[in-house]
Amino acid sequence: MGRRDRPRRATGRPTKRVLATRLRFETLLAELSAGLIHVSAPDTGVAIERALRQVVTFLGVDRGGLDEHAEGRPRLHLSWARPGLEEPPPVTAADQFPWVSRRLREGEVVRFSRLAELPEAAAIDRASFERVGAGSQVLIPLRTGGPILGVLSFVAVRAGHAWPDDLVARLRLLSEAFAGVLDRRRMELSLAERLRFEQLLSSLATAFSHLSAADFDPAVQHGLRQVVDFLGIDRGSLIEFTRDGTAARSWAVEEWMEVGEFPWMTARLQRGEVINVSQLEELPDEAAVDRQSYLLHRVKPQVAVPLLVSGIVVGGLVFSTVGAERARSDELIQQLHLLGEVFANGLARKQGELEAQRLRQDLTHIGRVSALGELTASLTHELSQPLTAILSNAQTAQRLVAADIVDLESVREILSDIVADDKRAAAVINGLRALIKKGEPEFMPLDLNVIVGEVTWLLRSDTITRHVSMSLELAPDLPRVHGDRVQLQQVVLNLVLNGFEAMREPHAGARTLVIRTARDGAATLRTVQDSGPGIAEKDLGRIFEPLYTTKTEGLGMGLAIVRTIVHAHGGAVGVENNPQGGASLHVTLPVAPEGAQ
Amino acid sequence: MTAVAPLVLVVDDEPSVRKSLTRLLGSAGYPVEAFASAREFLAREPHPGPCCLVLDVRMPGLTGIQLQELLAATGRRMSIVFVSGHADVRTSVKAMKAGAVDLLTKPVDAHDLIAAIQRAVTKDERDRATEARRAEIQWRVRLLTPRETEVFALVVTGMLNKQIAVALGIGEKTVKVHRARVMEKMRAGSVAELVRLADEAGVTVPTT
Repeated sequence: MGRRDRPRRATGRPTKRVLATRLRFETLLAELSAGLIHVSAPDTGVAIERALRQVVTFLGVDRGGLDEHAEGRPRLHLSWARPGLEEPPPVTAADQFPWVSRRLREGEVVRFSRLAELPEAAAIDRASFERVGAGSQVLIPLRTGGPILGVLSFVAVRAGHAWPDDLVARLRLLSEAFAGVLDRRRMELSLAERLRFEQLLSSLATAFSHLSAADFDPAVQHGLRQVVDFLGIDRGSLIEFTRDGTAARSWAVEEWMEVGEFPWMTARLQRGEVINVSQLEELPDEAAVDRQSYLLHRVKPQVAVPLLVSGIVVGGLVFSTVGAERARSDELIQQLHLLGEVFANGLARKQGELEAQRLRQDLTHIGRVSALGELTASLTHELSQPLTAILSNAQTAQRLVAADIVDLESVREILSDIVADDKRAAAVINGLRALIKKGEPEFMPLDLNVIVGEVTWLLRSDTITRHVSMSLELAPDLPRVHGDRVQLQQVVLNLVLNGFEAMREPHAGARTLVIRTARDGAATLRTVQDSGPGIAEKDLGRIFEPLYTTKTEGLGMGLAIVRTIVHAHGGAVGVENNPQGGASLHVTLPVAPEGAQ
Repeated sequence: MTAVAPLVLVVDDEPSVRKSLTRLLGSAGYPVEAFASAREFLAREPHPGPCCLVLDVRMPGLTGIQLQELLAATGRRMSIVFVSGHADVRTSVKAMKAGAVDLLTKPVDAHDLIAAIQRAVTKDERDRATEARRAEIQWRVRLLTPRETEVFALVVTGMLNKQIAVALGIGEKTVKVHRARVMEKMRAGSVAELVRLADEAGVTVPTT
């Protein structure tokens, strides 16, 4: 003990100086460590650089650096060096520093006072160090228990700088503080990114949930663009499969490639498989056509997720890159699955809406045709009138001609009557055709009064057989409504026929159906039966429901169709019993925009 | 055929049909009068000469069938040709049972219509002749005294003078005198002829 104590006493001052130096270093490290704990992600770079400068200055070396290792994320590459020193390549560049980076990944510190200390195995590394002028260096892996987060390095350009164990031990302590900063920053960034992703998801979901079929295309384009930008991918496309499994439609950001060019990928998507191919070489032999297409379009293989709705593949989301190949992390696939769900819902919604629209059209068509059945008698009557007149007139003319009584004036009159009656017959047929016509609704500003007039004209002879009378009370200043002519004719027809039916039960008193239009903000149409049983209280809420009927004959579709059409027009339906008997049904339709008037 | 052309009365709510039928029948030589409704037709004085009615089945207000019923109920006999845009079996049967000459569906062929009108006019003329004869016989019946009327009613039932005398409580000779007067006033040459006249006149046996 005594022998060992003596030299220290003999070198008391230098020991004191060393101790003082060490104390100052410990203090610096403690300060740096404490300071780094509260650094937030945006300030990381500045804080680390300041710390590096302090350490480099204190140690009297030439450069301090921190290289972050990160997969698929912007990495930090920070350093502080004495002025005039060339920026070295990061030691994480495995092609230049294979041996070093392997050791670091294993968690070991690499240090050398001169390059010659590096083993034979590190020949490549040594050459690289020589090129950047690092005679003496210490490299410390940064980790917080998981994989390596980065590397902390200190460099003396001049060879021979010693890196004693106690210094290295202290630098390791410092490295933990740096590692903590990197770890926190990474978590913050990933949290922020996750948040951004959540926002992307929710904005897409919102966009798709309020989507009409007509707006689908631009919304998908916009959505794909957002996803592509977010993921930093070059191309994205959405493929829609039909029920029989063929690719029906597709939407794409940037250049689109035909689905048919990728049979292998399409087949796999349709089986519900995820495709994640980062290299052309990974493609199997049976994907020869796909490979050709990739080469043709200069597209790096891609990642694709199937879109499922209720377990059925309805489409696929495909992303590819043009530039550098990137490994697709599990996280990315996870994100794509989530995005896929949003797009799948969008597709399902669109398909559902189109389906509903088709059903609605079929339904109104059926409704029209069945209403026509009821109208047959009156239409026959309507047509037989002009035909009777035409035939009589024509045969009169024949008789005149046969009898050689050619009175030109009479013949002229007869012919003009024939023409007029023929036009009347044509008008009946056209009215009929318009009613039967099944097609896409065409929305335009319409005068409800005109529509009421058209329909009641068709029905006027019906009133005779049904022993009812119809009276029109049309508002002269009715604003135009935005609607489809045929569908609104259907609404009026069904309402009027319903009114007729309601007054069918035998009862005393006049049977008058009043059809009234009025403006009260919107345009309203009201049919009022002045007699008839009215509607039972319990049925008031249900009469517009499909297949609901209180009549002995009747499908119960008439008023349901009215409601469907009116709702599709953004309008409302209603019903109430009249105090004096009978019931009133009314329909409110939004007014066409001012510009469309 | 009568010297005066029979009148055709057209009732149809459709102006163009009225006009064209008027024109057609006019070209066939018939004087035509057209009415827009049953009420309008009813407002016209009954036509004294031969005529027929061309009637639309389906009209607002009174329908053709209802007009037919109304005419029958008020004793106005008319030969009716119905025209209908949409004739159902029930309506047709009802109209024909009630004595319509024909029921034609629109559009009506001129040949069919004129043929039907001719039949209707013939029927009308025949009906008119029958009516005239009945009126004539009834006029003769009105010339009989009450006692002669009683004797007339019993003679046509096939009773003998003796039976009639008993039934009326008078002498057989008195019956003979009344009977001769009846035969004379009724211008009947035989009992058989008297029975036929009674039948045509609708004379019923007075209840005793």
